[in-house]
Amino acid sequence: MSIESISDVEFGVDLPAFKPDTRLSSASTFAKLVGWNAPRFNDHEAAKKEGLPGAMIPGILSQGYLVAMIHNWAPVANVKSIDTVFRAPVIADDDHTIIGVVTDINEDDKLVEIDLTVKNSKGETRVFGTAMIEIP
Amino acid sequence: MDQDIIDLREKYLNQDFDTTPFEIDPKKTVEYARLCGETAPRFLDPADADFQASPTYIASLMGGRTMPKDFPVKGIGMDAGKGVECLAPIRPGQTLNGKTHLHDIYTKTGRSGRMVFVVSRIEFYDNAGKHLANSDSRIVIREKG
Repeated sequence: MSIESISDVEFGVDLPAFKPDTRLSSASTFAKLVGWNAPRFNDHEAAKKEGLPGAMIPGILSQGYLVAMIHNWAPVANVKSIDTVFRAPVIADDDHTIIGVVTDINEDDKLVEIDLTVKNSKGETRVFGTAMIEIP
Repeated sequence: MDQDIIDLREKYLNQDFDTTPFEIDPKKTVEYARLCGETAPRFLDPADADFQASPTYIASLMGGRTMPKDFPVKGIGMDAGKGVECLAPIRPGQTLNGKTHLHDIYTKTGRSGRMVFVVSRIEFYDNAGKHLANSDSRIVIREKG
């Protein structure tokens, strides 16, 4: 269900799971766009030489996935803040899923708090964060 | 809190050490939003009446420095996280003024020793001086023995 107003939001509800585009080609395009044209974002073999399991998704792209997921669930939402912890690398070309849950609702101020987690195909947490959004 | 951290906080917190202008390019904000997975016209269509950068776009903007020149903690710094606070929409096509300061310094101690966390904050203002957003970079430094 797409959220159109604060009254549509229920405490504890899970947001629809979101599958981000973690293809290497997309990560590489993003890294170049923001000026982070480093091998670790562009090439699996080069990343392995740096000790990583493979090329990684830039942390700020993972943060962007979280916000896109919120907008996918509540198109009218205005993100007031988001704090993200990069716990472990998000590896490109591995399927990831983002889950989110509503942890607080302030109907007076029309604010909703959401906890968000990026998990890899093994179910391991890679990134987590908390967002505060305003829903008119 | 360790005395050296108390001293660092007194000396460095809330002191601007960098000012950088940022041009907000509409083509770049649209591509940024698309790659993040945004589908709303307000992030993707420059003709939309509410066209704006996606909320986390400012996290990609880096000032001239992330630490004060004389900051004394030495070691390997790693990106531990990012935070964004949105006070008003960022309209592509404008130039923002970014002012950087250290917002927080604290420690955590694990099996491998003490780690120092430094939060470097860029405050973004428009040409009229209106405060639009904050972008926090949380850097963890494993101290050299």
